[in-house]
Amino acid sequence: MQVFQVSHLSKSFKEHQVLCDISMSVNEGEVVAIIGPSGSGKTTLLRCATLLERADGGEICFGDLCVAGVDKNGSFAYADKETLKKAHQRCGLVFQNFNLFPHMSVLDNIIDAPVHVQHIPRAEAYAEAMQLLMKMGLLDHAQAYPCELSGGQQQRIAIARALALHPDILFFDEPTSALDPELTQEILNVIRGLAEEHMTMVIVTHEMDFAAQVADRIVFMADGVIVEEGEAKSLIISPRHARTKAFLAGLNR
Amino acid sequence: MDILTIGLEKTAQLLPLTLELLKGLVVSAEIFFLTLIFALPLGLLVALGRMSGSVILRNIFRAYISIMRGTPLMLQLFVWFFGPYYLFNIKLNELSFCGIEYRFSAVIIGFSLNYAAYFAEIYRGGIESIAKGQYEAAYVLGYTRWQTFIRIILPQVIKRIIPPVTNEVITLVKDTSLAFSLSVLEMFTVAKEISSASSSMLPFVIAGIFYYIFNILVAGGMAVIEKKLNYYR
Ligand SMILES: Nc1ncnc2c1ncn2[C@@H]1O[C@H](COP(=O)(O)OP(=O)(O)OP(=O)(O)O)[C@@H](O)[C@H]1O
Ligand SMILES: [Mg+2]
Repeated sequence: MQVFQVSHLSKSFKEHQVLCDISMSVNEGEVVAIIGPSGSGKTTLLRCATLLERADGGEICFGDLCVAGVDKNGSFAYADKETLKKAHQRCGLVFQNFNLFPHMSVLDNIIDAPVHVQHIPRAEAYAEAMQLLMKMGLLDHAQAYPCELSGGQQQRIAIARALALHPDILFFDEPTSALDPELTQEILNVIRGLAEEHMTMVIVTHEMDFAAQVADRIVFMADGVIVEEGEAKSLIISPRHARTKAFLAGLNR
Repeated sequence: MDILTIGLEKTAQLLPLTLELLKGLVVSAEIFFLTLIFALPLGLLVALGRMSGSVILRNIFRAYISIMRGTPLMLQLFVWFFGPYYLFNIKLNELSFCGIEYRFSAVIIGFSLNYAAYFAEIYRGGIESIAKGQYEAAYVLGYTRWQTFIRIILPQVIKRIIPPVTNEVITLVKDTSLAFSLSVLEMFTVAKEISSASSSMLPFVIAGIFYYIFNILVAGGMAVIEKKLNYYR
């Protein structure tokens, strides 16, 4: 079953076309890694998917819920507010720089949206948050404030915050690139754990070994297009396109 | 012997003088607190108008702030006090209600509208200093715009604007003396009256001490609030 799908997605910033004719879909339980050189449009793709950025054309759907596409009049348009709100319930995003709420405790960061956006009873949200914190190994820090935690711990809280809303699909934009190398592994291990539980995820990353191990599929982007995609290990070991080869060779140098 | 009697006389005068000034201080404090009660929320509305998506609204509030900050508060007080009579021929005593003289209401209106403009610019600075990522995180989590503002942005803004707000509030304590221009019997007006009646500097000295103590308390209170909000960075 498809959880997420974009077709023929395009996006420009003024004259500069950042995404052209991007099509990809993600099945339930699948982990997709997106790789590619800086400026290739990876972040922009995730931002369009999570509705932070408005695309110029194409189609964006979460399962049976289409948020953008060609309307009755034949022109590209976004769905109404209600549909967008529903779509937000279906996807989550983990940012490169966490974006935790500094004035809320760790616990409040996690339960605030379930309680005030999804109107889940506080006790229920609390119990779930505690479970998530246990899973993240941060049960002792429930009452701490984000500024008291390391980057790795903050990113784990950000992941827990996203998971607390039970998204169908979770997007990660370079979740480890703001972290010291020794903290990178702890985040990668958390994501690995989620993959084992068959959480549907799309991960933009520069960690090739991790992508090869954890992802089912890798998408290689360059200059706003998907150059190549395929089964994770084979794409890393034997890329078909020259651009992909050059990119991977450049990393290993 | 003579010196002693003069000394005693002076001390005997000191008590009623202090009591009169304290009565004035109560009025000063009323102006102070009422201005804060009205101007702090009003300033937030003005700030939101100033940052509105509508160009017309934005420019209206920009002009409002510019006029309020660009003309003397004393002049504004005169406009609010005499305006109804000169412009609409309304008798000033008709404007008093619940036993509150219009000259006092005019002071509160003038101060609130003036200080709202200053607070608005402080709020705006605070709101604009919040990182875009906070809005984006809230949006992705499904918060409405209103929820984002109330639950995520405003609490952080309040913490950041405490120092500039403290400055304004301290200025306000001293500015309450401008109400003397409408002959409201606040502490400075009282001091001036007693001083000219008794040809003595003493009322001003005591009033000065009271203003100073008032401000020490205000600054202390703000420091406590600042400390309370120091649980996060
Ligand atoms: N808000 C914006 N306004 C104008 N141009 C933008 C904006 N956001 C991104 N771009 C441009 O779009 C292109 C793609 O940017 P994007 O951030 O999606 O790349 P990326 O693949 O995520 O790169 P990186 O690996 O460095 O994160 C870049 O050339 C960038 O300058
Ligand atoms: Mg990026």
